[in-house]
Amino acid sequence: MIFIVDYGLGNLLSVAKAFQEVSGDKKVAVSRNAKELETATHIVLPGVGNFVTGMRYLNDLELVEPLTVQVVQKKKPFLGICLGMQLLAEVGEESGETSGLSWISGRARRLRTGGLKIPHIGWNDVEIMNPYPLFQGISRSREFYFVHSYCLDCPHEYVVARCTYGDTFTAAIQKDNIYATQFHPEKSRDAGLKLLKNFLSISC
Amino acid sequence: MLKVRVIPVLLLKEGRMVKTIKFSSYRDVGDPLRTIRVYDAQGADEIIFLDISATIDGRNQLLGIISACARECFIPLTVGGGIRSVEEARKVFAAGADRISVSTAVVENPSLINNLANNFGNANIVVCIDVKLDNEGVCRVSTHRATRITQLKPVVWACEAAERGAGEILLHFVDREGTMEYGYDLTLLSEVTHAVSIPVIACGGVGNLQHFVDGVRIGGASAVAAASIFHFTDQSPIKAHSYMNGAGLPVCLA
Amino acid sequence: MSTSICKDLKTIPPFYDEAIKMKTCSKCCVLETQDSIQFDAKGVCNVCKQVEVKKNTVDWVGRRKMLDEFIAHYRGKYQYDCIIPFSGGKDSTYTVWYLVEVCKLKPLVVSFNHGFFRPQHLENRNRTLNKLGVDFLTFLPSWKIRRELMLESFRRKGDFCWHCHSGCYVYPVQLAVKFHVPLIFWGQPDAEYGSYGYTYEEIQEVDERQFNRFINLGITAEDMVGMLPEWITMSDLAPFQYPDRDTLRALKVRSVHLGSFIPWDPRAMAQTIHKELGWKFDKVEGIPEEYGWEKVECMFTGIRDYLKYIKRGFGRTRHLVSIDIREGRKNREEALSLIEKYDGKRPASLDLFLKLLDITEEEFVSIAISHCVAPYKHDTSKTVKGEPLWDHDQWLDLLGMRE
Repeated sequence: MIFIVDYGLGNLLSVAKAFQEVSGDKKVAVSRNAKELETATHIVLPGVGNFVTGMRYLNDLELVEPLTVQVVQKKKPFLGICLGMQLLAEVGEESGETSGLSWISGRARRLRTGGLKIPHIGWNDVEIMNPYPLFQGISRSREFYFVHSYCLDCPHEYVVARCTYGDTFTAAIQKDNIYATQFHPEKSRDAGLKLLKNFLSISC
Repeated sequence: MLKVRVIPVLLLKEGRMVKTIKFSSYRDVGDPLRTIRVYDAQGADEIIFLDISATIDGRNQLLGIISACARECFIPLTVGGGIRSVEEARKVFAAGADRISVSTAVVENPSLINNLANNFGNANIVVCIDVKLDNEGVCRVSTHRATRITQLKPVVWACEAAERGAGEILLHFVDREGTMEYGYDLTLLSEVTHAVSIPVIACGGVGNLQHFVDGVRIGGASAVAAASIFHFTDQSPIKAHSYMNGAGLPVCLA
Repeated sequence: MSTSICKDLKTIPPFYDEAIKMKTCSKCCVLETQDSIQFDAKGVCNVCKQVEVKKNTVDWVGRRKMLDEFIAHYRGKYQYDCIIPFSGGKDSTYTVWYLVEVCKLKPLVVSFNHGFFRPQHLENRNRTLNKLGVDFLTFLPSWKIRRELMLESFRRKGDFCWHCHSGCYVYPVQLAVKFHVPLIFWGQPDAEYGSYGYTYEEIQEVDERQFNRFINLGITAEDMVGMLPEWITMSDLAPFQYPDRDTLRALKVRSVHLGSFIPWDPRAMAQTIHKELGWKFDKVEGIPEEYGWEKVECMFTGIRDYLKYIKRGFGRTRHLVSIDIREGRKNREEALSLIEKYDGKRPASLDLFLKLLDITEEEFVSIAISHCVAPYKHDTSKTVKGEPLWDHDQWLDLLGMRE
């Protein structure tokens, strides 16, 4: 079962429908029920919005610990999207400093675009650094859809793809079973659907 | 490199798509769900739905249509028209919209922009500014589908909207809409794009593909939107991309 | 002050033809007004490049083997091995011949009748069907409906053939569902001439996405019904409705081009069907006689090409000589000379067309001009009239419309 975390933020229907499109017979659940996480084979944390609000909702719903157990300890395949990637950090700089999930060392910080407009909205080229499982069958430079004002800074060894908008920032990461993208694969046409399909082919 | 977006705009009235000239004299142009499939296949970068239904039934049809679109269309969907509160916005997001567009409600209550941005993230809040000439020929912000003209100047209002947390401005030239003649008002567009630090989508007046190029090159738009040219001519998003690429603009191809 | 992203971009320069004031491919003769054409830094168009891929990169031996493996999944498992959409033109005739005679398949051959087939076409068609011994189905929609569709489509998109584009595409898929035959084989792939992003690097899937991308002019049957007079309902437009996704998925429909598996060569293929099936060439308005295999089936080909000329500044001759340049059969000088001689004439068939649709020539030209593609500007003062075809006088009777 593919578990899409409903913590009150995020375009859940879009994410769910995209997974349904590629999941074959696998069940897709949109839920905030921590118990159901135990039977999940894949966990997805979407998110559009504010770092502070995101962490507050996750904490209020008491989802942080169950997610940490399933993802960090039990190592179930995990995909974070957009805010769902930034929340992996130790700290988020949006509206002051807020603690994140700390599953990855690093900070979520505002984009540095050298004068280009923020938010970064639209289709941009993603440079894939190496052939990682998530990008199998997707050409090395490909456009994906971004809509964000913040990004994740993390150790270089976890960065699997980058994007340039004024400055170069992290577009996708992988740390063991933890995958995440700054862009929205559920909104990125065939390339995005292929990425989601690749994610589902990863097993525990 | 970030690409310039080509965005078809669909006007919905009681579940059918319509086209208007200057927001009046509606003409039926088709079925929204099928049209979304067409635009998606034709390489549209995003879709904007604006609902102008007068009835509750019409509004409910909109939510059903958005959900049906989200099922098979994997490009961003912005929905606007009649969103007046955080709760209404929540329903539209829950139905499957990725971003919302607000217009009249935020002119009447500017702090709604702050509320919406705080709840849903500022990148997902588009403030639509319907621009109309007043009796003295001065560009003003209009509301209620351009039936009322305010004293607000578009540039001033755009700055305030950006300040309050809007992620993007949709600058809609109502006097040019549906005419397919002169393209965007490049002077005003340029003033707005230079005044705000957030992206601006231009809309209204496009009659040929050069208008898109001018909107970006001269007007400074980050995205170009149109409706009539895609409904009433042989043009399509894929052709627009091709033309813009030929003019040296960065666009998604094929 | 935030800046736009387009600070330092330069226009890509293709070759510029001073005589006609338009950009053209530096290799073939296509113009910048062709749909979705693009030119690289040396001015070579994307169609030329696709064809180079076809010649130099595609492993045609491997593809031919793939065809055999592909067909093996379907042979003998259904009432028919496949559905073949058939117009009776060179491409679909070759496709039927190849799949029956070379691949030994048992197809259901299906033909959407747009209503304007020429007499020679009908003779060619019947001879082909008889010689190959295949089952055949055809459908002709009501003239009353067709007429409204032609008018609306012409006004809206400058192209009167919506019913033909949509019908020809949808009919085989509807039959695949009706007969429970999942495999559909088309002829030449879009990478051969088109500039819509399909290339020879992949096996093109002929699906609803393609239908919406560039077949139906951006109008589906559900759109169209709201644009027509009220007496026309969705059931009248059912022949133009693409079957729903879930139905096609359940049946596992696969819809591919034969030209994805074997290299497409129209000239050689026309010779083959002429020899094997007695398929006859014919004269067509507005193109040199040497291309007697091209678009011979339809009465209104000449009008379509004339329309294209009014809108875009080129007709079918420019398209055909460009193919010959790519295949090394003509040089640029020869090509341009033929274009000068044949492109842009006002076809004699237009008289019949105007009569059938009950519109004037002024209206026709005015609608066409309203769909002009920049930078081309049509000059009506330079219109030259073309000669009628040999069978022109038979058409009214063939259509059953002589009063």
